[in-house]
Amino acid sequence: MRFPRFYPAVTVLVLILAGCSAEELPVDGAPLAPTDAVEIEALLAESTQPVVLNVWASWCIPCRSEAPLLERAHAEFGDQIRFIGINVADTQSGARQFIAEFALSFENLFDPARAVPSSLGGSGVPLTFFFEPGGNLVHYQPGVIDERTLALQIDELLRRGETS
Amino acid sequence: MEFTLLWAALTGVGLALLMVNIVKRLDLIPAAIGSLTDLILGAAVTGLITGRLAAMIIAGTSPFTHPGDILIVRSGVDTGFASLGALTFVALTSRRHLAAAIDVLGPAALAGLAGWHAGCLYRGACLGIVSSLPWAVAQEGSNVTRHPVEIYAALLFLIAALALLWWLRRGVPWIGAAGAGALGLAGAIRLATEPLRPSLGSGPFGWYVAAIGIGLIGVWAAMLRARNVAQ
Repeated sequence: MRFPRFYPAVTVLVLILAGCSAEELPVDGAPLAPTDAVEIEALLAESTQPVVLNVWASWCIPCRSEAPLLERAHAEFGDQIRFIGINVADTQSGARQFIAEFALSFENLFDPARAVPSSLGGSGVPLTFFFEPGGNLVHYQPGVIDERTLALQIDELLRRGETS
Repeated sequence: MEFTLLWAALTGVGLALLMVNIVKRLDLIPAAIGSLTDLILGAAVTGLITGRLAAMIIAGTSPFTHPGDILIVRSGVDTGFASLGALTFVALTSRRHLAAAIDVLGPAALAGLAGWHAGCLYRGACLGIVSSLPWAVAQEGSNVTRHPVEIYAALLFLIAALALLWWLRRGVPWIGAAGAGALGLAGAIRLATEPLRPSLGSGPFGWYVAAIGIGLIGVWAAMLRARNVAQ
């Protein structure tokens, strides 16, 4: 099998075209409200809706891939499920830049000490937790979440709500 | 670190290579085609890179500003662009023997897809929409039973691969028809199982319909060419 001579050139061209979308976004909006483990545990226990809690950081590469998915899920199911982002080990400016870049419209809280994921039993970023109303953990997804898993776990939360 | 996706990918590649071996043993590879293993691995890598780049760009992340993200394959690979990338690689490397090459590649590609879908067993990602059928399965700690949709897809791909192999062995009368048929079958299987998968959007239905259409046109074109050669 012989590789065509223009194969590397096509690859380089694709990469150059792919790079054309890069742009710096202005950072505006209020700083993220700080939170801690006690506050989140109370919030989950008192929640009357299922909760999807995503732990992220602006420097985390996989978090960039799942951010658009979470925003899409929030746009579709935000009236039935509460979406909460927990920004960890980060700076306020980094977090706000990330939120602006992906136009995240769900609630995001600031936890530089990683107290929330530690109390929930998770480590690293990204992490996604799925809770029933009342705070019972249904599913824990360490690492990046894909569309199928996110859709399946959201459906599971909604179905459990129907049957309970 | 999590390696479940890697195991699923290796299962797919393993089944594809097994099918290549069977095709070789049955002496179905025309002499004009070089190494089928190289062709499959090259197509798989090109498809993976193309699909990953497309998924990143569609999600609004530039591969130039975030090159490390290209390696996070689990973040998403666009199926349609991945297929286009793989097919383009095969077309560019096979050139004059394209029709014969896709014929022998067809069963291997379908077997590889069967392995990839069966890889859901490693990832705990086999379940689809809610079902009350006797074989429906609930995820751990749940009483909500669901279709094991990825197992359905894996079985259908395996049956399609074996059917295509049987057709090749009998002697496909139109060169290129088996390969085009494989593309159409892959689109049809994904289209048939897609409604059983939970989704955040409409799903890539357009790509599946396009694959079926191109597959049918390919079979028709192969038939016409064979008829013209006969005359």
